[in-house]
Amino acid sequence: MMNLQKKKLYTLLALVALFVILFICNMLLSPYHMRIINLVGINIALVVSLNLTNGFCGVFSLGHAGFMAVGAYVAAILSLPLVKKAIILPELPKWLGSVELSFLPSLIIGGLVAAICALIIGYPVLRLRGHYLAVATLGFLVVIQVVITQLQDFTRGARGINGLTQYTNTWWVWIFTCITIYVVWRIINSAYGRGMMAIREDDLAAEAMGVNLTKYRLLAFCVGAFFAGIGGALWAHLITVVTPLSFSYDRTFSLVVMSVIGGMSSITGGVVGASLMTLVPELLRNLEVGITVGGISIPPLYGISQIVLSVVLIIVIIVRPKGIVGSREFSWNLFKKKKWNTMNQMEN
Amino acid sequence: MDSTYLLQQIVNGIGLGSIYALVAIGFSITYSILRLINFAHGDILMIGSYCALFIFLSGKVPLVVGLLLAMGFAALIGMLVERIAYRPLRTASEESMLITSIALSILIENLGILTVSAQPRKFVFPEVFAKNHELAGVTFNNMTILTVGVAVLLMILLTFFVKNTRLGTAMRACSENIGVARLMGIDINIVVAIAFAIGSALAAVAGIMLGGQYGRIDPLMGFIPGLKAFVAAVIGGIGSIPGAVLGGYLLGLFEILLVGFLPIEYTGYRDAFVFILLILVLLLRPNGILGSAEGRKV
Amino acid sequence: MKKLLVLLFSLVLGIALTGCGGSQEKEQPKQAGESGGDVIKIGAIYNVTGAQASLDGPSLNGFKLAAKEINAAGGVNGKKIEVVSIDGKTDQTSSTNAASKLVDVEKVSAIAGFSDSNYALAAGPIAQTAGVPFITSGATLPSMPEQVGDFFFMAAFGDDAQAYAAADYAVDALQAKKAYVLKDTAMDFTMNLAAFFEERFKSKNGDSAILLEDTFKTGDQDFSAQITRLKALKEKPDVLFISSGPSDCGPIVKQLRDAGVNIPVVSGDGFDTPLLIELGGKGAEVDTYFATHTCLNSDGEKVKKFVDDYKAEYNKEPENAFAALGYDTMHLIADAIKRADSADPKAIREALLQTNNFAAVTGSITYADGKRVPKKSVSILKVQDGKFSLIKEVTP
Repeated sequence: MMNLQKKKLYTLLALVALFVILFICNMLLSPYHMRIINLVGINIALVVSLNLTNGFCGVFSLGHAGFMAVGAYVAAILSLPLVKKAIILPELPKWLGSVELSFLPSLIIGGLVAAICALIIGYPVLRLRGHYLAVATLGFLVVIQVVITQLQDFTRGARGINGLTQYTNTWWVWIFTCITIYVVWRIINSAYGRGMMAIREDDLAAEAMGVNLTKYRLLAFCVGAFFAGIGGALWAHLITVVTPLSFSYDRTFSLVVMSVIGGMSSITGGVVGASLMTLVPELLRNLEVGITVGGISIPPLYGISQIVLSVVLIIVIIVRPKGIVGSREFSWNLFKKKKWNTMNQMEN
Repeated sequence: MDSTYLLQQIVNGIGLGSIYALVAIGFSITYSILRLINFAHGDILMIGSYCALFIFLSGKVPLVVGLLLAMGFAALIGMLVERIAYRPLRTASEESMLITSIALSILIENLGILTVSAQPRKFVFPEVFAKNHELAGVTFNNMTILTVGVAVLLMILLTFFVKNTRLGTAMRACSENIGVARLMGIDINIVVAIAFAIGSALAAVAGIMLGGQYGRIDPLMGFIPGLKAFVAAVIGGIGSIPGAVLGGYLLGLFEILLVGFLPIEYTGYRDAFVFILLILVLLLRPNGILGSAEGRKV
Repeated sequence: MKKLLVLLFSLVLGIALTGCGGSQEKEQPKQAGESGGDVIKIGAIYNVTGAQASLDGPSLNGFKLAAKEINAAGGVNGKKIEVVSIDGKTDQTSSTNAASKLVDVEKVSAIAGFSDSNYALAAGPIAQTAGVPFITSGATLPSMPEQVGDFFFMAAFGDDAQAYAAADYAVDALQAKKAYVLKDTAMDFTMNLAAFFEERFKSKNGDSAILLEDTFKTGDQDFSAQITRLKALKEKPDVLFISSGPSDCGPIVKQLRDAGVNIPVVSGDGFDTPLLIELGGKGAEVDTYFATHTCLNSDGEKVKKFVDDYKAEYNKEPENAFAALGYDTMHLIADAIKRADSADPKAIREALLQTNNFAAVTGSITYADGKRVPKKSVSILKVQDGKFSLIKEVTP
């Protein structure tokens, strides 16, 4: 075991290194590559926060995209410049129509509203278990989508809100990502975190030991939703358009896939899963170019990247059902003892 | 509102409900044995309907034969999918199987786009099925009769199979407790394969009826019915066949009645109401309407 | 095992980084538009997989066909056109990534794409920021060019033009006094189309001329509830305006006619799909009209050539009007490049803006008064004898 001081120092150094690298990337790389790097950051934050609920607390939620939608729409409406707001959202109530917040408060309010939604939906629904809970959270996603489509005055319905200022940049994304990882890490290493994991392993036993199930589950659910809301808002201000379809089943499923592929009950797993599942599809695009060999040209087979990706996914799941990282965590001890520090000794 | 209007909407709802019920049964059977939420189930429905399309297009086989061939083909695909993707995961967590099913769904849909193109195809039953009947002011066509008739017939056959045959009994045993069933000498692999075959065949029928009512099919047609069937199965009590049927009909009726009776400004909220109902059902009966509480080993 | 995985992960990451870095180095010295001497790179982003695939697939086919023809005829200004096409996957993230890649890595001279404004509005601003012209071949939201900026062009007419033409036809030719509207609330296009139709219809027949506005959602498979409500209306409408996309129009008309509703149906270019005839069957023959870009059955020389070439290239009839729009978009860009005598994006934009009476398959294109929504004729089509036939062509 290394001493704590040393580990903290290493972590700090790693952070500095990360931001120096990002700074250099920002100078050298094209906007396209920076866009991909930013998406990786946003996805890491989304998946790590999803892992808090789905992995650590065992509350298998399919509603993450719904919280993203709430955060994205709230932040979009708040941060939209007044001139634009008057044109594209003329029906807004006065108190909303005349505010224009800067990016940070918009993000935070977006996250808070998402967390409040989580509180409202979570209080009744978190009593359910297993797949019933998954269906109920999926239901929440549908309800949110329908409400966004129907509340024309606030959201412009299916037309969506476009022309958002592209506030999101490398610094916003990666500082937010680091904060998310830090907060989730602190939670799972606190008494709350142990309570959550106890619930995941055996809720009856946990309850018998005095863990308040509803409270702990709600906490995980709301914190997850808060970060999902901010993540959604960052996404919206990167893409500059939000429509109800931006946050559909596809989005929820892709987040869940990232989470399970990396390792659901591990922060490291979230980071690995999100990075791979953002980068690999982008790289696989290179498969979708037509090839001309000896005068015979093969037209590009669109859809081949999705096919390859899904086959690889199935193989990875069969080979490593607990995800690539499993439930282990990255630790500095790794370098010293050549051994992964197991978060959860019971696993091995 | 007069009673004819209500009756008409109920007839419409039963037609839609039959399709949901057929898909939900397949969902429920595989769930009850493997605890698997199979999001690729809807895509099997799509495969079934394309298979029927190619048989119908040739125009050489009678309807019943075409239907049976499509069911058989879908059953084969279902068994194949189980053998390749799900069997290696028999002992893995529910989440791993869920992800596999999502991956399979993406795989099948994109293979569909590559092979049969994304263009929707027309899928029209022979002229006779479009013939309208009127009874007490309620109109319905032969297609609706066929859908409801086939659905009910298949459900009766399935109930008979599950209750009165050795394989059916083995299936029930597996859904009670797969571990004990194995100890009793039941070949789990065969039971699971049969479950997938039955579920896929029923999905194929649902796909064909859906295609017939809608008039068109495309490679992405299965996703929404698959999701709705999942909801129906959960409402009815996932794992229970009568529950899946009840859930399917309830969902179909509820959707149609909401569109028919909500004030027009609110019809857009239909799906929201459907899911709010779902959440309410789950809160009142956490295991669905006909589901039995899962025994917990404390 | 663990080591293997770590190795695998770092390998993938390594490939990713070197892949990115490598292509970066290669592309760095090049200026936009000057892509390696004798080729001009044109980007194409179409959603060829996912829910939009049935519209965008034909568009891309048409686009590539046009490029092939141009190259066979010697290219533009002595240079060959190279189409760099990327799949948008019916996903905004993928679409914006694609736009960014085309602009930053491929350094294309112009980008074309999309049949839906949700995606065009996401990808457009990236081209705008980089100063590369973006021409959407099939999206018809008229306010888009204003919203995105001066590098954004539309190759198709706006929804206002087609909805007004449809409303005028309903009022003048069909003598309609009262209308029923059914619209898809899940699509941008159908919402706008219905709104423009109602605006025009009301201005002609008074505010109470719309008897009922009912809704459905893309992918709904059963319209019996809506039809039952339509039949229960006290006052019968003279015309049904069905604002739907291509995937739903066939089933709606079929189910309407199956249920015995034989009131004339009017719509926009969402109805321009063979499925309408195949599914509507005899039903669609009963008074089904729609406003669209062009009639592919007409005897016009351009149209005939396009249809024949498309058949020769892909072994099938053009699936819908979006194929023709994709084809026109490529020719429109090539025309601008020729007039600009340059592959410089800014010069191309200037030339595009000057486009005057460019003869395309879907009618002549003029960007008048600096507007980037073309002034184009609208064709009113009717289903007749299992084919679309041209009723009349109106120029707004």
